[in-house]
Amino acid sequence: MKIAIRMLSIATIILWLVIVFFSATAVYSVMNLGINLGEVQMLPSSKGITFSLPFSISNNGYYELADLNLTTRVTDSAGTVLDITETLVPSIPRGTNVNASHTIPIDLDTILTMDHVPLLLNDSEFTVEILAGLNFARAVPVQISTNATIPWGAPFAHFSVGRISVSPHNSTHVEASVPVSFENHAIIDITGTLKLEFINDSSEKIASGMTSISVPPQQGYADRILVYTMQQDILKITSSGNLHLIFETPVFVVEWWESYG
Amino acid sequence: MAELNAKLLMKKAIPRVLKATVWGSLTFFVVYCLPMMLYPTDILPFDYAAQLGQFATIVVFFAVAGQLFSGTLIGCGFGIAKAIIIIAYFFTISDNGIFSVTLSVSEVTVNFAVDISVILLMIVSVNLFNVAKNLLEALTLLTEKSTDIDLT
Repeated sequence: MKIAIRMLSIATIILWLVIVFFSATAVYSVMNLGINLGEVQMLPSSKGITFSLPFSISNNGYYELADLNLTTRVTDSAGTVLDITETLVPSIPRGTNVNASHTIPIDLDTILTMDHVPLLLNDSEFTVEILAGLNFARAVPVQISTNATIPWGAPFAHFSVGRISVSPHNSTHVEASVPVSFENHAIIDITGTLKLEFINDSSEKIASGMTSISVPPQQGYADRILVYTMQQDILKITSSGNLHLIFETPVFVVEWWESYG
Repeated sequence: MAELNAKLLMKKAIPRVLKATVWGSLTFFVVYCLPMMLYPTDILPFDYAAQLGQFATIVVFFAVAGQLFSGTLIGCGFGIAKAIIIIAYFFTISDNGIFSVTLSVSEVTVNFAVDISVILLMIVSVNLFNVAKNLLEALTLLTEKSTDIDLT
């Protein structure tokens, strides 16, 4: 019995020593972790915009950091998920430094569809949920989560259609001049073709026209789009109706409706 | 009779009290003062002084009680109680193995969760060993008492 008691005492002491040693070195290792987060960069890309978060981790502790997983979930103001991106660093052995970058590609073609017209016309904010997980010493899983907001600049902010004027163009056609203005709050150039279809209050397509536009970021645009229709259709032009606007670039096509009158 | 009591007090109680005082002070130093010196509260992003204080109180109380009643059945009882209370305490403060804290870092709220199940398992194991050890000690004491032949 006494031997058993002695053995249990020794086992207890050894286990306590292991616990204390592991806890102390783990806390020391965590305190010696160097985590540097760079500035979030918003860069134009071939398909739209790319958010890039550069970060570096220097593991100066005693234990390996394994399965570092950085996940971001981008949602618009209505809560619609726009993107989920994951960056995985399999292992950061002790005494090493890892530089990585978490890149969130935002495909404008997907975002700027009819479902997201408000994002096209109004400035907004994206919510980015950041979830980071890692396995400390392959024994203690750690999870960190936070939320951040990123401002979204609408490419056709404050879009407005002015008073439409109609004048004779030639013997067969009349010309309608549609004043259009907006501000490009996005970080990319708005370069493409803006097509306009004139629909009267009886939902009849009367005329259409197009213009090429190129608006740098943070610049305004104000011009007239000229549309032509036959002389005999002049009576179909009503004082109110709708304009179907289609903006085309080599990367994406967006369309939306505006009312006039 | 009074002289006999005083002798007994001098011989048995005072050394135990002194031993318990030294043992309690040493335990307090190791469990509370040493961690606070090594890891002051201002270098970690959350306040752990309260939890450490509670843990130190439990451990110091049982260290003193254990020394006062060492070699007795009551001492074994205190040993078992200490093990069970430490297990329960760690389960409570770690929320069953998931220790989570919410920090405010420059206007951003960061939720931090650590799964300390492995450490908790080790703490439970060591305390179960303690329970077993104290039970065996109690059995030994009882066995010795029952086999003692009183010739007076």
